[in-house]
Amino acid sequence: MHSSYGFLQILHLSINAYFNSVQKENYTNISDQELLENFKRDQDNLWLGILLQRYTLLLLGVCMKYLKDEELAKDAVQQVFLKAITELQKYSVEYPKSWLYTIARNHCFMQLRDKTQLISISDKLNLRDDSILDFTAFDKEQSLTLLENSIKELNTAQKTCVTLFYLQKKSYSEIMDSTGFSLLQVKSYIQNGKRNLKLLVAQKMSQS
Amino acid sequence: MSELKNILNHGPEPSEEALKRYLEGNASAEERFMIENQMSDEDFMNDAVEGLQHFKSPLVMQDYVNKINKDLVKHTSKRKNNKLRSHIEDQNWTLISIIIILLLCILGYFVIHLSLNSKPNNHTIEQKK
Repeated sequence: MHSSYGFLQILHLSINAYFNSVQKENYTNISDQELLENFKRDQDNLWLGILLQRYTLLLLGVCMKYLKDEELAKDAVQQVFLKAITELQKYSVEYPKSWLYTIARNHCFMQLRDKTQLISISDKLNLRDDSILDFTAFDKEQSLTLLENSIKELNTAQKTCVTLFYLQKKSYSEIMDSTGFSLLQVKSYIQNGKRNLKLLVAQKMSQS
Repeated sequence: MSELKNILNHGPEPSEEALKRYLEGNASAEERFMIENQMSDEDFMNDAVEGLQHFKSPLVMQDYVNKINKDLVKHTSKRKNNKLRSHIEDQNWTLISIIIILLLCILGYFVIHLSLNSKPNNHTIEQKK
């Protein structure tokens, strides 16, 4: 009786596992947050596997940038994943993407013994230069006009790079060719130009 | 004027395939803009692209990605199997407890039944005396 009950139980759990796996094949449209919620509900590490695989390539790139060795970078990503699996079982993380990036960077800095560069792990770390603008009070046309006027107030290098990149959709290399700037300069002018533009527009909005 | 929106919008996240094409230099103009726009917005994407460009070849890079993912799947499935096994073991103990309780009930029933049957016999013996 005992063995037949055990067999039925295993059969039941296997059928459940099969239906779960079929369900998980349709995960492409599921957000990171939803995957984490599913993990919390099911306590099934497969959900974490799906989530982490989304960032394998990017994390490998980040580790490669800092460690400059393919094998070390691979090992680092595996370590980051192990840490992530352990931590995600204990703590709740709101923004897994930025959290994983912070863990990977810190892991690389630890490996390089450059502890001064360590950044505090906060899943709310802003990856993006999030908009400081609130366009709700303005119509689109008005805000775009403000933006157009603000471009003129940027310094020459930033104005050139922002115009070529955002308005003419030129690539980094095309901008380098036409301006003579280095890649680092082009990236910096675009990033700082965008930030300054947002500040300028915010300033104008508060005045009007 | 419509291009101005590019400055305000973060734009969609590029797919992994688009990123690989970009690294190989085969991305379309739209994909290239999408990726470089993300690079200017996100340190994560910028660091990742800069690092991925250091790989000897895209094939080597893909090989590493496959290895990492294979290990990850193995690890996450293993943990699940362990959970499944412990779940079954837990349930087995429940089953054993239920069986023991049932056996005790049956045993109790027989003991009570036998004791009840034996009492009238003693009574009749006394009456006969």
